[in-house]
Amino acid sequence: MVSAISVAADVLMLGALYSLIAIGFTLIFGVGGVLNLAHGGIITVGAYSAYAVEAASGSIVAGAIAAAVVSAAFALALYRGLISKIRHNPVTVLILTLVVAIITEQAALVVFGGQELVVRQLLEGTVTVFGESIQRNRILVFVLSWVLIGGLFYFVNRTRTGKAILATSMSDKGAALVGIDSEYVYTYTWVLAGALAGLAGLFLASFQTASPLMGRNPLLLSFAIVVLGGLGSIRGSVIGAYLISFLDQITIRFISERLAGVSALIVLVLVLLIRPKGLFGRELVEE
Amino acid sequence: MSGQARSGSKSWADILNPVEMQRHQQVGLLGILALFVLPVVLPAIYAIYLASALFFATFVMSWDFVSGYTGEISFGHGLFFGVGGYASGMLNLHVGIDPWIAAPLGAVAAGVAGLLIGFPSLRVKGPYFSLITLVTPIILISVFRFFPDWTGGELGLVSVGAVENFGAIGPIPSPGVDPYAGYYLALFVFLFALALFVAITRSDAGMVFTAIRADEISVAATGKNPAKFKLFAFVVSGLVGGFAGAMYGHSVGGFNVSELLALLISIEVIIAAILGGIGTITGAAVGGLFFYLLRVFIRNLDTVTVPFTGAEIELVIPLLDVAVGEIYFLLFGIVTFAFLFYLPEGIVPRVVGEWRARSEPQSGEAVADGGTSRGERVVESWTDDLRELFGGDRR
Repeated sequence: MVSAISVAADVLMLGALYSLIAIGFTLIFGVGGVLNLAHGGIITVGAYSAYAVEAASGSIVAGAIAAAVVSAAFALALYRGLISKIRHNPVTVLILTLVVAIITEQAALVVFGGQELVVRQLLEGTVTVFGESIQRNRILVFVLSWVLIGGLFYFVNRTRTGKAILATSMSDKGAALVGIDSEYVYTYTWVLAGALAGLAGLFLASFQTASPLMGRNPLLLSFAIVVLGGLGSIRGSVIGAYLISFLDQITIRFISERLAGVSALIVLVLVLLIRPKGLFGRELVEE
Repeated sequence: MSGQARSGSKSWADILNPVEMQRHQQVGLLGILALFVLPVVLPAIYAIYLASALFFATFVMSWDFVSGYTGEISFGHGLFFGVGGYASGMLNLHVGIDPWIAAPLGAVAAGVAGLLIGFPSLRVKGPYFSLITLVTPIILISVFRFFPDWTGGELGLVSVGAVENFGAIGPIPSPGVDPYAGYYLALFVFLFALALFVAITRSDAGMVFTAIRADEISVAATGKNPAKFKLFAFVVSGLVGGFAGAMYGHSVGGFNVSELLALLISIEVIIAAILGGIGTITGAAVGGLFFYLLRVFIRNLDTVTVPFTGAEIELVIPLLDVAVGEIYFLLFGIVTFAFLFYLPEGIVPRVVGEWRARSEPQSGEAVADGGTSRGERVVESWTDDLRELFGGDRR
């Protein structure tokens, strides 16, 4: 069963990668109540800033740092400059974040062109596992993703700022009563989500390619992931990411390449209809 | 509010008498009149642009009818245009049904799609409903891609075979061949949708829609079933959207994913409605025309002719050194963004509000509920006013 191992390797790695994207998405929704459709745009920003810095400095580590920092700065600017002013109108938020995503894609298209760019891998070479050769880069991406996820769990559950984020996600009024500045918490989650999405963009680009529209498919998958796991639940996102990437890989390998992403979307619709709060979430409470 | 609704003193003649109307309504009538005579003075190429703009405005109105009124934001209205168009196109291509008959059948198919999707998905609310509507057209596109022999996949029906244009009727030339006939067909579809939507939204049913947007639980408490009204709006919107999609396809002679189904279309429809003014229908019509023509204008902005000299200058962005035409979509996105951010209540409500503020400066009134945003007040007062005048609440 050679192909089973390669499917398993892909599922393990893509699951970790999608977790990074979905966690950021779900953090922003769970804490601030904002569905950030520009999240895919942040992925693009991360990949292209890594590409540009790597091309200028020759170091992919510098590129990785750039991916995190530029994306975090982009998310910060997006939140402070735009979303914080219109946060209370969900429709405007949805539309404006979508327009921002489109502008980002078009800007990348104009500056870097429409062709697919190859971003240098973080680690060259392959290793053989059970007779199947796997790129070292993929293993590194897997490990790094899990280090980030673990770090995030530690941060949210153990540190003061992390607990403030959790508290705000449960009740922003309650958090305000005990002296938590919710505006500060929102900003924090946007920066975190931006950095995670930027790194995910670099990872994606390092084993596929970077293209202006590269953020779209991961964004659609992360809809399915966060809805399946429960909007706002970090643990649910990780589990959802694995379920969805498993389903997606199975569909691609055994049914048809043309159905990439569709099974995830069908799951999304079914979950929304049958159990809208997902596996681990709370239902959206209208205030 | 509703007790004396039937015993109003205004007759239809009063309501439809242009002299009695307020200024913005007279301007609206003049605008419709202008749409009738425009082709006389315009070159054929502009008639084609305008025809597409009219179809697009019809799409926008069909969105506004559901989302602008009931407040359930559909992010995938392209589904209706796509189902209507493709059903009609495939009936024509694979079964050989005449386009004049296939187009209404396509509209019915889109209405059925509205029923199938609306019935389960309208139970969930807010962002969840938006997510479902966002992904259903994407799923449909993938299904189309999976059956390329029938649907032509990404390229559209053209790649499978030629879809017929509308045939000529008697002395009237075929709308698919003659640009002016195509224009008047589009105008017919546009006015049909406008009249239908305005009539429904200014009736009692329209008041229920608006009430659902304001407070669904209160509507339920009065004994009306909000789900039923929302489903009705969804299905009617699907019928009209699908009809417009089918008519558009048979006018231009092809159906493809990027013009009817793609996410971008669904988003453009929403943006245009917001630009024009949500929850007004007329605002959606104006917004749709404005948005489409703005895009055409920016796309054709490559060269500017200097007045009097006739010299043509190529417009180039200074720092990046690229022609405007190449990055028109980026520019377009930025212009749209600015509009959305600085004019959130939309063009029509803003203009009408300004007029009103100027003509009757004493109309400033105390806000009892602690204040809504200025935009919301303008939209509200405008829809209230129109509803009264169009007979929704004849007093």
